[in-house]
Amino acid sequence: MDVLNNLLNGFHTALSLKNIYLCFIGCVWGTMVGVLPGIGPLAGITLLIPATFGLDPTGAIIMLAGIYYGAMYGGSTTSILMNIPGESASVVTCIDGYQMTLKGRGGAALFISAWGSWVGGTLSIMGLMLLAPSLANFATKFGPPEMFSILLIAFILLGSLGTGSFFKTMPMVLLGLLVSTVGMDPLTGAFRFTHGVIKLFDGIGLIPVAMGALGIGEILKTTEESLVRVIHKIRLRELLPTREELRASWGPIFRGSGIGFVIGLLPGSAHVLSSFISYIVEKKAAKRPEQFGTGRIEGVAGPETANNAASGSAMIPFLGLGIPTGPAPAVMMVALMIHGIRPGPLFISEQPKIFWGLVASMYVGNIILIILNLPLVSLFVSLLRVPFRILFPLILLICLVGTYSINSSTFELIILLIFGVFGYVFRKLDYDIAPFLLALIIGPMIEMAFRQSLMRSGGSFSIFWESPISMILLVLSGLLFFWNIYRALRPRKASCERALKGS
Amino acid sequence: MKKMIRLIGMIGVAALIMTHVSVGAVDYPTKPITLINPMPPGGTLDVQARAYASVAEKYLGQPVIVVNKPGATGMVGGLAGAQAPPDGYTLTVGSVNFTNAIEWEIANGRKPPFTRHDFIAIGSFTMSPTLLIVPFDSLYKTLADFVKDAKSKPGQLVFCSGGLYGMSHLPIEIFAKAAGLKFRHVPYQGGGPCLTAVVGKHVDFAMQYPPTSLPLARGNKLRVLAVVGAKRLKSIPDIPTVKELGIDAEYYGWVGIMAPKNTPMPIVQKLRDITKKVAEDKSFIDMIEKPGDEVYFLNGDELAKWMEKESRIIAAIDAELAKEAPKK
Repeated sequence: MDVLNNLLNGFHTALSLKNIYLCFIGCVWGTMVGVLPGIGPLAGITLLIPATFGLDPTGAIIMLAGIYYGAMYGGSTTSILMNIPGESASVVTCIDGYQMTLKGRGGAALFISAWGSWVGGTLSIMGLMLLAPSLANFATKFGPPEMFSILLIAFILLGSLGTGSFFKTMPMVLLGLLVSTVGMDPLTGAFRFTHGVIKLFDGIGLIPVAMGALGIGEILKTTEESLVRVIHKIRLRELLPTREELRASWGPIFRGSGIGFVIGLLPGSAHVLSSFISYIVEKKAAKRPEQFGTGRIEGVAGPETANNAASGSAMIPFLGLGIPTGPAPAVMMVALMIHGIRPGPLFISEQPKIFWGLVASMYVGNIILIILNLPLVSLFVSLLRVPFRILFPLILLICLVGTYSINSSTFELIILLIFGVFGYVFRKLDYDIAPFLLALIIGPMIEMAFRQSLMRSGGSFSIFWESPISMILLVLSGLLFFWNIYRALRPRKASCERALKGS
Repeated sequence: MKKMIRLIGMIGVAALIMTHVSVGAVDYPTKPITLINPMPPGGTLDVQARAYASVAEKYLGQPVIVVNKPGATGMVGGLAGAQAPPDGYTLTVGSVNFTNAIEWEIANGRKPPFTRHDFIAIGSFTMSPTLLIVPFDSLYKTLADFVKDAKSKPGQLVFCSGGLYGMSHLPIEIFAKAAGLKFRHVPYQGGGPCLTAVVGKHVDFAMQYPPTSLPLARGNKLRVLAVVGAKRLKSIPDIPTVKELGIDAEYYGWVGIMAPKNTPMPIVQKLRDITKKVAEDKSFIDMIEKPGDEVYFLNGDELAKWMEKESRIIAAIDAELAKEAPKK
């Protein structure tokens, strides 16, 4: 019972008054960072690094990790209430979360999202605790060909994301891909669609585009519809999920935990992928997929669980091997290094106090977070009682400040506004924004992986089926592709028969 | 906790001393100083800049606020720093990335948005050599093995970098040119993903920096074959430099402080003095050396001279790379 013993020692460390306090500070800060659009976990952690200079390494990492997973709790708030993604992993939460708010179920959506975050977070820490050393090596098995194959699956799934028809989703996917090519090509250094503007060299940032197309687009559209929308009083019963909603969430929460955990291990921007794949899986698994996008609780529960689970497992390569797979773990690693602790393959065996203290503190932190977040639900929901003529300028202000705070760039404010108008126009034309945003995320990743693979192999395509992992994933994506076609054809046949019978 | 109290105490005492000293000399600084970091938050460079800021504060008696303005390999933030009013209240974190980006623009016949002549060098505080690393169970056990095999199959060994024409790509080009070798390049986005690729054996080798590579070497995940610098490192005394094998290549990641040109000389002098004090400060040395780097101080003139030399080396390499790069 080595693990139990270690964990007990870990709790001994984590439950010291000072470490509970640091964990609490981290969680509160993380929640704030998550709630505020723009500032993501990365900036949140970086800002607090100087504050850890005077702490011992265990305390420092406990606090910084608290920010990291705390941000995943907070990220859903503005997505659900205002249609502004709090951070990039919560983009898909906007789809059904905001619809739930419009139906007066925003409180329930927030409640379920906090609950799912807790379950996902806790399960993922268990995975981290039991499997960290063996899974860390798994992460390094994913080179460009494997990444390409897994992204191919994501890409095939993208087509079924929208609420509208295939022919309304695909143009948005293509537009997203087109926008994603702007900037310097990372593999050759050639400039694409930059027209000599230095600020376009790095491409068009996801956050300003997402906040513009979703948040500002929404304001413009709603302003036009009715300034005198009825603001109803919110009763406690409306804050809590109904029994039916709770029952519908269990499946997505457990599936989301699994999906998030596995995807979190992969190199790259895993959070975004995890929530998005979880959403589509729920949609595929649902009995009535056409109801997704109209405010289904499953569309909130799955993704919000998945991004928390991913934040736990994203720590595995960093703690087990000393290789950060994403920017936020990279910052945490640097913070540890300042204290003279160098995470590496020997970290867990050489620094058991830090590792197990951290693991135990993550259990503690998740409990702090759920205690912190549930009462906040009613506070946040009461924001909706603010009259719209005040709320809208406020949302606009949040979007502007949030965007500026990322890179202190006024250029990104212009991007925000341009895509605000873009979001408005396409919403009016009845196109979905989500496929556009996800194509914007996946496009560059899949392009990179594909071209890196071919550069590695010197142009030979065999690299994609030489690796067993990649081979299996490719076969899966093929099956998925044909299954999609089959599914698309079958209901039409059924409805034809119905039509025939009717006549 | 004790450390923190001591730190606060030191800041307090230093602030008191500063207010007295500054009366006679230049009346600077009287308000907080902004330090633009043109690199994204979280990298080694960012952390070192923040460590500098936190220690410089106590000598300056005013807060030093680090602002990240990333974009275009440092050109967005560098331009903002070059165009800032030359009053000593907006400084810029300089690094080898500047030279990389500027020389690449020049090599391609474009006019860089700014050059090193738009800045006055204040001083630099680290200078880490790159390390040549291979997967742990790679066939290459020594640099000689590696060079011999690479000679026999030109253009077949694959390496990764954290970004095209950046600080983990150029050292390999410099090394390849000096040793007369040819390799194939797969750029990754960031040093972390590139290290993953070496450990996972997706590439044959790479060049990375001590703080991230050494723990992996100690855990038998990768092997350091050589130091691409003038002398061996204290932390790995057994690993030879490439120069010992007769390959004349060196490349360093350095971090320093720059002020806009036309900054008044008294202010520049004061900043230079303070940077020297920071580089000798015990708490600063700890923050840099514990992660595996070494503090290596260059004063303003030495840094300016180094940048000139570095520019020449990189310009020569870039000119050749630009010929091979795909045209727009």
